[in-house]
Amino acid sequence: MNNPFAGDNTRIQRRETAARWALRMGSYTVVFLTVSIFLFITFKGLPHATKPGFLTELTSTLHVIESKSGEIIQTGPAQADAMKQKLGDQFVSEKTISYSGGGILGPIVGTALLVLVSVSVALFLGVCCAIYLSEYAKKGKFLETVRLAILNLAGVPSVVFGLFGLGAFVLTAPVLTNAPADRAIFVIPLGFTNLSFQGWDTCVLSGGFTLAFVILPVIITASEQCLQAVPQGFRETSMALGATRWQTIWRSVLPFATPGILTSTILGIARAAGETAPIMFTAALAFKDKLPWQKDLPPLPADAGMFAHWEQSVQRFLGIFTESVQALPYHIYTLAAKIPQNEYSEQAQYGSVFVFLILVASLAATSIWLRIHLRKKYKW
Amino acid sequence: MPETASSAAQHAPVVQVRDMDFCYGSKAALHSIHLDVEYHRVTALIGPSGCGKSTLLRCINRMNDRVAGARVSKGEILVKGKNIHDADVDLTQLRRQVGMVFQKSNPFPKTIYENVAYGLRVHGVKDKTTLDEAVERSLTQAALWDELKDRLQAHALGLSGGQQQRLCIARAIATMPDVLLMDEPCSALDPIATLKIEELIAQLARNYSVVIVTHNMQQAVRVSDFTAFLHLGKLVEFAPTEELFTNPREKLTDSYLRGTFS
Repeated sequence: MNNPFAGDNTRIQRRETAARWALRMGSYTVVFLTVSIFLFITFKGLPHATKPGFLTELTSTLHVIESKSGEIIQTGPAQADAMKQKLGDQFVSEKTISYSGGGILGPIVGTALLVLVSVSVALFLGVCCAIYLSEYAKKGKFLETVRLAILNLAGVPSVVFGLFGLGAFVLTAPVLTNAPADRAIFVIPLGFTNLSFQGWDTCVLSGGFTLAFVILPVIITASEQCLQAVPQGFRETSMALGATRWQTIWRSVLPFATPGILTSTILGIARAAGETAPIMFTAALAFKDKLPWQKDLPPLPADAGMFAHWEQSVQRFLGIFTESVQALPYHIYTLAAKIPQNEYSEQAQYGSVFVFLILVASLAATSIWLRIHLRKKYKW
Repeated sequence: MPETASSAAQHAPVVQVRDMDFCYGSKAALHSIHLDVEYHRVTALIGPSGCGKSTLLRCINRMNDRVAGARVSKGEILVKGKNIHDADVDLTQLRRQVGMVFQKSNPFPKTIYENVAYGLRVHGVKDKTTLDEAVERSLTQAALWDELKDRLQAHALGLSGGQQQRLCIARAIATMPDVLLMDEPCSALDPIATLKIEELIAQLARNYSVVIVTHNMQQAVRVSDFTAFLHLGKLVEFAPTEELFTNPREKLTDSYLRGTFS
């Protein structure tokens, strides 16, 4: 007897085929677009990015000098005049293109510093917050509200974070100082010094803290999920052995959540490295001819003791974080939007984009490697 | 050396459950439980699923504290004569006194050594010799020392299911508790591993007072000295095992043992 439920098989098969192809085409489109973008940027950017000095020199103005013989010489501001004199009456014209000469060492260093500060801050705050939410907080309406707020925070446009950072860190955050600035909102005298709410100015610290808040929701949410993924049995057993809650977390929960937390952190790094709007008002400069540690400090007297040298080194180190810097995404933005476009600005731009892409790709690769490596160590 | 019956009799019951009610929020789970756990004896808790035997077990080391809304609403539990709900009771000390082995063997993903040493480490023991001695003693008592003494630094998850459960027992007795709670310790094991654990329980009773929850009535007969039968949150009958199984006083116990309901 025929099965009464056996319908028209060909129609079902046709649908199956259609569905499979639709899904396949969708995936192929995404892969195709990604690969084309990557190839395009590599093709345009690689030649410039591999020029000597692109990764090791500071940004400068590009001078393009044309000679009568049709030769075109690209050079920096330092050699431009000498080059013109050498050409003498062979000299035809000179064009200057801002920010397009030299290399991108400044932006790379700046981005690295911003990432360093933001990830340290975000990781500390984020993991503390995730542990509290996951392990200590009482389940209920309040906890759900907090979670919802964190999720919403992830959806806030980054320019809003930038303005928040401007208000909170650049203009208001407290500093210890003997001489409070006039713009301080209020000053709390501490006796030996003052706690002045005058802001940190635009600097690495302000930018790093702002970026930290951008990636905080991602880190909190991911860390909490990683903590929740650790089997409840570990907690029960640990508590049953007489461990306190913190001992349980420290010995039997956190180690096994670390691989996941680090993975999400590295993805957070990629995000922090790529954000432009939050650092626009808080840390980034379009141009700077010095690295953050190349600061002019008063020369020490010849008979200065070890302590003075030591103090100056510390000052120099701390000074790194109170300087504003160039940053890769903002540099790309500057090249693309702030100066007239021509072939020379374009090559600098593609070079920077290529370097940036490689940076982000290697961060993602590191996160994958780290996850595999740590999973092996802390598998359960 | 095994304790003789007479010397055990000199000890007061190590756990005394006194007329205890227990509820999860508004849902009552245990009613007027009255039960003594004798010193260095094995006490089995049997009964159909959901009768509250695991809940009762977890009351003794206050593991139910972790469940929101769970509380003892009447009566008290004394461990070595001390009310465990007194304000001055340190939960970590209580759990050092009352160890627990869970249904699912769940060693930490650490080395065998670190698993056994865990309880001591969280109580602040740092001395290597003390730890080494405790690990050897616990593994010996858990009948694992001969098998594992050469690979203490191996990962605990590489052990077989039965070995893992015995490792969990070793971990629980490393802190030298007075009472060892076992929540269906064999339910995930094959018959041979089960047999080994049952033999082990008999040996453990020389040094510890054991309370075991089991679904398997034959197991209760094999390992326990006393059996408590629970039904719907009530303690129906509590008697020496032989007496309860051969000559139950209550009709309900009788029909449960005959399998007319479960």
